[in-house]
Amino acid sequence: MNKKILLGAVAILLLCSHDMFLKLDNYFLEPEMPAVIELVNGTFENSENTIDRNRMLDVSLVGNGQRTEVDSTQWFEKDLSTYLDFTTGKSGTWIAGVSTAPRNIAMEAERFNNYLDHDGVVDMLQYRKDNNELDQDAVEKYSKHVKTIFQVGNDRSEDWKTVLGYPIEFVPLENPYEIHAGHDLEVRLLLRGKPLKNQLVLIGNKEDHQHAENGTHSHNGGEEHSHDENEGEEHSHDDLKEVRTDENGIVKFNLDSSGVWFLKTIHMEKSTIEGLTHESNWATLTFQVGSGDHSHDNASHSHDTAEHDHHDHEEGGIPSYVFWIGSFVLVGILFFLFNRKK
Amino acid sequence: MFKNPKLLLSLGLFFIPVVVFAHDVSSGDQEILNNGGLLSYIWVGAKHMVTGYDHLLFLTGVIFFLKSIKDILKFITVFTIGHSIMLIGATFMKIQVNENIIDAIIGLSVLYKGFENLKGFERCFNVKAPNLFLMVLLFGLIHGMGLSTRLQSFDMGTDQVLLKILSFNLGVELGQITALIPIVLLIRLWKKKSSYQAFYKACNIYLIIAGILLFLYQMAGYYNIL
Repeated sequence: MNKKILLGAVAILLLCSHDMFLKLDNYFLEPEMPAVIELVNGTFENSENTIDRNRMLDVSLVGNGQRTEVDSTQWFEKDLSTYLDFTTGKSGTWIAGVSTAPRNIAMEAERFNNYLDHDGVVDMLQYRKDNNELDQDAVEKYSKHVKTIFQVGNDRSEDWKTVLGYPIEFVPLENPYEIHAGHDLEVRLLLRGKPLKNQLVLIGNKEDHQHAENGTHSHNGGEEHSHDENEGEEHSHDDLKEVRTDENGIVKFNLDSSGVWFLKTIHMEKSTIEGLTHESNWATLTFQVGSGDHSHDNASHSHDTAEHDHHDHEEGGIPSYVFWIGSFVLVGILFFLFNRKK
Repeated sequence: MFKNPKLLLSLGLFFIPVVVFAHDVSSGDQEILNNGGLLSYIWVGAKHMVTGYDHLLFLTGVIFFLKSIKDILKFITVFTIGHSIMLIGATFMKIQVNENIIDAIIGLSVLYKGFENLKGFERCFNVKAPNLFLMVLLFGLIHGMGLSTRLQSFDMGTDQVLLKILSFNLGVELGQITALIPIVLLIRLWKKKSSYQAFYKACNIYLIIAGILLFLYQMAGYYNIL
């Protein structure tokens, strides 16, 4: 009985969706300036717990062609999030990555099935249905591997394509900071260094709530269907795009709005290790797409905070230098006119 | 071409530092606030005031209207009391208003001051302008709400909140003094020149135009037109 209660409690925690992401307040940073990256463990919006340093197998920053291992003392905790303090380097497109050590979790069958459904591990759920395993409890070994790509200064560099060598990881095929909303982006998913084909990837955008219109999307084989509101009670991924990797392990999707984008996937396989039934590797990737409704690409024209920033709702305004130059010119013209009339 | 090229040059020199160092309060400041303790709140507050052109334009309008240093100090103090009360009070009590709306009203305050300086009330409505002392206090409160809205857009955490608000406010005052010294000096120096009336008229018409544009810009932001 106690075991069931324990399993239930653990499963409920799991059903809260403990995705892990690396996030920044602003993905456009200034060179040689202090910055903070948040490591959230929960939903994309809210972290539900901090991460112990000893769980972090690798913490890397990649910029200016160099990969730097981050010291564990650079982390601090605030509320339920873990934060990485660092100083940016020279201008370029940087990556930060965190890979965590595996942990085991035991779940009774029903909870495990719900979790598979809830978190988009639909292939394993289907496998259990096809093989009459829905009533089997599970002991899963899981680990999480997360990356974020951010832009420092104005110059683009090639660091964004660096493969960190994690058990599973997303690697874009194009620099997200060289494209803007409306363009397609291709991202390759690697499992142990090799392209992972036909893997379901969930894609979200912080400012995009329009792609889920009609609630229509596809799971397997691209067959479209929709979830009504009641049915979707246990689906946390209704608002996400669902895309499968192709033969080359590539997902292609349209960046249909600006803002922060994230990709997440959970690859699960049956385990042959004694005491385990399944092994999963979780991967996420975050980056920001600048507002595409002006000029060619927001990312390519100055991200000095002196010029503008990318939090339109929070910090929008006329760039100071534009205002002052315009003001000076206007006052000068008016002064010239009135002084002549004298 | 210009009767007073030196004055024009001094106007240029006056604006150049502001242009060069113009630095919007951005989310990069969040990192500074996260890491710098109370001093960082002073810094961000000062930066916001120095680059917050709407606040400075209003104060420039006030200074134009006043003749003696004593009056300038008196009215600046009233404005400071007004915005400090609202900044500290609203932030501490977590009173929030729409950022676009409050900035639009601040734009109107700039328009108001330019209009009043050009004797718009007398000329257009044939009435006396409202009491400047009360208006500066009122606009001080409104500008304070704008400052509070900006401060509340940052994550201040849960510890030392009052001290952080006070530090931000101190920074605002320091930034205000820093920005106002060259403005006061410029206006007072120009007063002795024959071109002062043209300068006065040009600046106050500019304040009206800037106030209208700031208002329209913020309202466009409110209605998501931009």
